[in-house]
Amino acid sequence: MMVSRSAKPVVLYLTRELYVTFFLLIGVSLVVFAVLYSAPGDPLAAVFGGQVLSDAQREEMMRNLGISNTWYGQYWSWLVKLFNGDFGTSLRSGQPVLGEVTKLAKNTFYLTFGAMFFSLMIALPIAIYLAKRGTDRLGWVLMMFAYTTSAVPLFWSAYIVIYIYTRFFNTLPIGLATGESMNFTQMMLPVFMLGLGSGIISETVRFLRDEISRVFSEDYVRTARAKGVSVWKHALTEALIIPVSEMIASKIPFVIGGAIIVEQIFNWPGIGRMAWQAAQDRDYPVIMCITLVTALIVRLTSLLQKTLYVIVNPRASQETKTS
Amino acid sequence: MNNSPLLKIEELRTYFYSRTKQAFIRSVDGVDLEVNKGDTLGIVGESGSGKSVSMLSIMGLIAARPGIITGQVWYQQEQARINLLAGLQDHVQVSKNDGRIMSVEKTDLAWQRRLEKNMLGIRGKEIAMIFQNPKSAMNPFFTIGHQIVENITRHTQYKSRKEAKERALYWLERVKIDSPQLRFYNYPYGLSGGMCQRAMIATALSSEAKLLIADEPTTGLDATIQARIADLLEELRAQTGVTIVLISHDMGVIGRLSNKIAVMYGGRVMESGPAQAVIDHADGKSHPYTEALLKSIPREDNMSSQGHLNSIDGEVLDTINVPRGCRFASRCQRINKSIEKMCLNEEPPLATVSDGHKIRCWHFAGV
Repeated sequence: MMVSRSAKPVVLYLTRELYVTFFLLIGVSLVVFAVLYSAPGDPLAAVFGGQVLSDAQREEMMRNLGISNTWYGQYWSWLVKLFNGDFGTSLRSGQPVLGEVTKLAKNTFYLTFGAMFFSLMIALPIAIYLAKRGTDRLGWVLMMFAYTTSAVPLFWSAYIVIYIYTRFFNTLPIGLATGESMNFTQMMLPVFMLGLGSGIISETVRFLRDEISRVFSEDYVRTARAKGVSVWKHALTEALIIPVSEMIASKIPFVIGGAIIVEQIFNWPGIGRMAWQAAQDRDYPVIMCITLVTALIVRLTSLLQKTLYVIVNPRASQETKTS
Repeated sequence: MNNSPLLKIEELRTYFYSRTKQAFIRSVDGVDLEVNKGDTLGIVGESGSGKSVSMLSIMGLIAARPGIITGQVWYQQEQARINLLAGLQDHVQVSKNDGRIMSVEKTDLAWQRRLEKNMLGIRGKEIAMIFQNPKSAMNPFFTIGHQIVENITRHTQYKSRKEAKERALYWLERVKIDSPQLRFYNYPYGLSGGMCQRAMIATALSSEAKLLIADEPTTGLDATIQARIADLLEELRAQTGVTIVLISHDMGVIGRLSNKIAVMYGGRVMESGPAQAVIDHADGKSHPYTEALLKSIPREDNMSSQGHLNSIDGEVLDTINVPRGCRFASRCQRINKSIEKMCLNEEPPLATVSDGHKIRCWHFAGV
């Protein structure tokens, strides 16, 4: 039988993984719900403007609103609604949660993936330089740069950058949320800051440097060199495509975590800022929805990475086909 | 022109700098060899004797830091005779007395660039190489066909995809791979070790290189497959007239394929000459090391009185602190009172004993 690169193993693999994703998301929601349930603070009180309610008042209100007494009852009613496409309404704004979250998730998506891209643009050349030349003088400087950017905390460096920016441009590089018109640098500043400060540059540099030097000492790369053909062409898949995609998939949760801080500081209208707000307001439906959306993004990224891996690695696609 | 050898190696040295020991490891330490057109030169020696490293050096496959190469490798092209290592000496300090590398420039970038430049148009096109462990030496991410086609379009006149593919199938057939049409689309992991080695031979030969360096091509394969690969190489040599340098620690394979043999020990050629003369070790007519190697081939008459196979006692040479005298002296069985002093204090020259047969041993130097 002829072995060709059909899409079939990938499809098979994806359907299986999507099942897993489904149960994973249920699990995530359950854990988050449990945490919220046992956390101090009363969402009902939040609804009524922070009044302290007596037990009798609470009982009555819960009965009126149809809220179950038990945690599993509450979770179940949330879950049933979820399957009907209803994520609930925000306790704070009274708007349907899903619409608001998806609207803002788009901004967070731009921020995180833009930052990811920016980090890679910095980390990749450094990693390649270090792998090829070793730690010479320039290499040492580059490595120190990578470590420093990752070591400086984002909440500090972001404020420093804002300070410098206001000193030189006399405007604040914030205010996307307020609807002011902004120029490109102002828009990009949060992306750059997250890209620099999320701490993934040093790890990417280290990981990629090791991967590149490992792959370049592989036997098959030596063969390519002996053949007089392009060495990079032969090394590309294993030295760059696979490790970079792995890096993106495994680091995206950290970047999203950093996005919460950056969105807060730069007033970037994303779900990170929204989650922060919701946590303070005990706005449980919003928190639940954001957690699920974030988990979904993380999961999809890693799925994408695995799919890519199966596509570029003929051996892996063979394995998925037979298993 | 016909008389000049295809490849002439003079004073080839390949050192590796060991950071922890702060010294050069002298893997190849002054090797002189000649390969004539159509010959099969077998280089034999135990691990660490420098046989692989010397051939990798010729291909420029030793990376700068920690490796460093000097010497001359004259390669006879159709018109000109070129030195593959030209200009590399400018970047190293060499001892005036014995040609040893004393130190290296701080940045080896220029050295590496020069090497890459020298090798342009040589690697693959003029000199092809096959390696041991074919499964890891072929790229696991590309099909066999792709890896052959790539070589063909790069180095031969078959530039179009269709022509190159036809040519690749032709070569797959030449190395006797069954159903080449299918194998063309296979990845290396889908092939057995022997099959993979055949594919690699096809890849190497497909560029129509004049010299094929086979670095332990049968190591790591089953004994039966080993014999078949050896036969295949011999057959292809007879058909295409390609010159082969065969590296192996296996005297059996070397004896079977080569018409010239060089025996290496501790980074030096100990004996070289026509295969017959080297292998004929009766009555101490060859170098003690060659004799010991031949006596350790698994054969009935090589068994010791206890029923064990003969082996060479002692340790492999320390290539950092190379002894002053003969490199093999500490393990030599034929060392005796009359020449002991010489053996321990002065390195013997490569003495010619008969036509083309040279031995580096004090036993023969005086004759």
